[in-house]
Amino acid sequence: MIRRYRRISQLIVFISIFIIPLLNVFEITFVKGTFYSLDIGDIAIADPLSIFQAMISSKSFLMVMLVSTIVPIMLMILLGRVWCSWMCPYYLLTEFIESIAKKFRIKLKKPTYSKTRNTKTNATRFITLLIGITLTGIAGIPLLNLISAPGLMSSQALVLVKFHYITFEAAFIIFLLFMEFFYYKFWCRYFCPQGTFLSLFRNKKGLRVEKVVENCSNCYSCIRTCPMCINPMEDGLNYLCHNCGNCIDVCPDNKKTDTLKFRF
Amino acid sequence: MSIRKFLQDILNNNPFKGFYQVNRLRPPGAVDEKRFMELCIRCARCIEVCPYDSIKRADLFEKLQIGTPYIFAKERACYLCMKCPSVCPTGALDHNLVEPEKVKIGMAHIEQNRCLNYLYVKEEEGIINTGKAQICSTCYNVCPFQDKAIVMEKFILPVITEKCVGCGICVEKCPTEPKSINIIPTGMGNKDTAGFYYQRSKMIHKKSEEITTDYYKGDKLLQKKQNIQAEEKPKYQNNFKVQEKIEGW
Repeated sequence: MIRRYRRISQLIVFISIFIIPLLNVFEITFVKGTFYSLDIGDIAIADPLSIFQAMISSKSFLMVMLVSTIVPIMLMILLGRVWCSWMCPYYLLTEFIESIAKKFRIKLKKPTYSKTRNTKTNATRFITLLIGITLTGIAGIPLLNLISAPGLMSSQALVLVKFHYITFEAAFIIFLLFMEFFYYKFWCRYFCPQGTFLSLFRNKKGLRVEKVVENCSNCYSCIRTCPMCINPMEDGLNYLCHNCGNCIDVCPDNKKTDTLKFRF
Repeated sequence: MSIRKFLQDILNNNPFKGFYQVNRLRPPGAVDEKRFMELCIRCARCIEVCPYDSIKRADLFEKLQIGTPYIFAKERACYLCMKCPSVCPTGALDHNLVEPEKVKIGMAHIEQNRCLNYLYVKEEEGIINTGKAQICSTCYNVCPFQDKAIVMEKFILPVITEKCVGCGICVEKCPTEPKSINIIPTGMGNKDTAGFYYQRSKMIHKKSEEITTDYYKGDKLLQKKQNIQAEEKPKYQNNFKVQEKIEGW
């Protein structure tokens, strides 16, 4: 059930990366921008990592920048990392790859759950982010924006709609998607600096997955289905959890009584 | 010595910023090039709102400035609609800029030995003889700040004044090939002037035999000074050679 809503939300966002430039071609500038930064009416929304990088590389602090990070950070605090699972166009494509693999019976190597793996995954993510930010500081330009999957996709869509060509950056996205066949969601889980930066704003009181009852049937179907390879029964507050709700959909106990649910 | 030179080239020149090229401009309101590269998050909003498709997204051909906005004056100039400065989320384009007169993205420069009007005058005066003399005046006619940014000297010779904003419409419309008017982006000319002390220090640290030491002292110097005659004034206007590219400064 949640999956359906999520799919609708994802599709709306995915289509909008083409619709927004098209509207702008017709000079309707109500919504403008890419997923680095977007203006809806007068609300400015910007990727917090981009803004952070701009601050680091320019060594300055502008109010204009800061205001635009309010909406994504509020969203992160209230609803958790829903950007990744409910909106990010790249995530939609990885799920698409997953379904293709299922259709052609290609077995994706999905790692099994273990606690140490989670710690390692999180460490990889944060170290990647740290290295990226350090390199940004040294180079003096927002380097991590060059590997932002959603940003690249939307700016490629913009170039495609407005100038009718795509640049080589599309190859980067295609390469990542190709690699998904061999390493299950490796970009989202291990490297994506945007998602990692967002998960820093994870709030304990925000929306999270929680096992409401004491005992469940312990079928572990939620662990098997989790795209981030964590244990939804315990790790609702893990930095990796992006509130996709797959575990809630798949839980067989939910049909009888509320077992695994979104809670504030 | 060559290793030192190599290391100097690699380490002292940031490969990410400080590239200039004639006729390749930043959108109106852009801050200083170096700071622009720091602030620009490549969100492409200015590219998106540009109604004339003037602003292009820099490709791999523009080296490591991938994703940043550029105006290629030869293809499509900036028509100064002033939509882009206000949409920038990080202030890489100045938000407060609304008057097109205050834009300063570059400065036009006329190549006098190629411009048709200048050639026409030379032909009239009998300096050259090609038999193909014609009056063009396109740059004067298309300029959005006619008689302010570009004036006609002797009613025929186009001359750029300080009020030129560097929009590049004259470049786009110039009929000669190669273009006889070019836009030099703001900040590009600074390499020679800003690097004065740098150049001087290089001069000092050079080997002593390389420097020609012509010193005049006392009476000799006085004599030399008296010999200087101020009859012929130096020609300042447009009296410099345009560099095609400046990189890594």
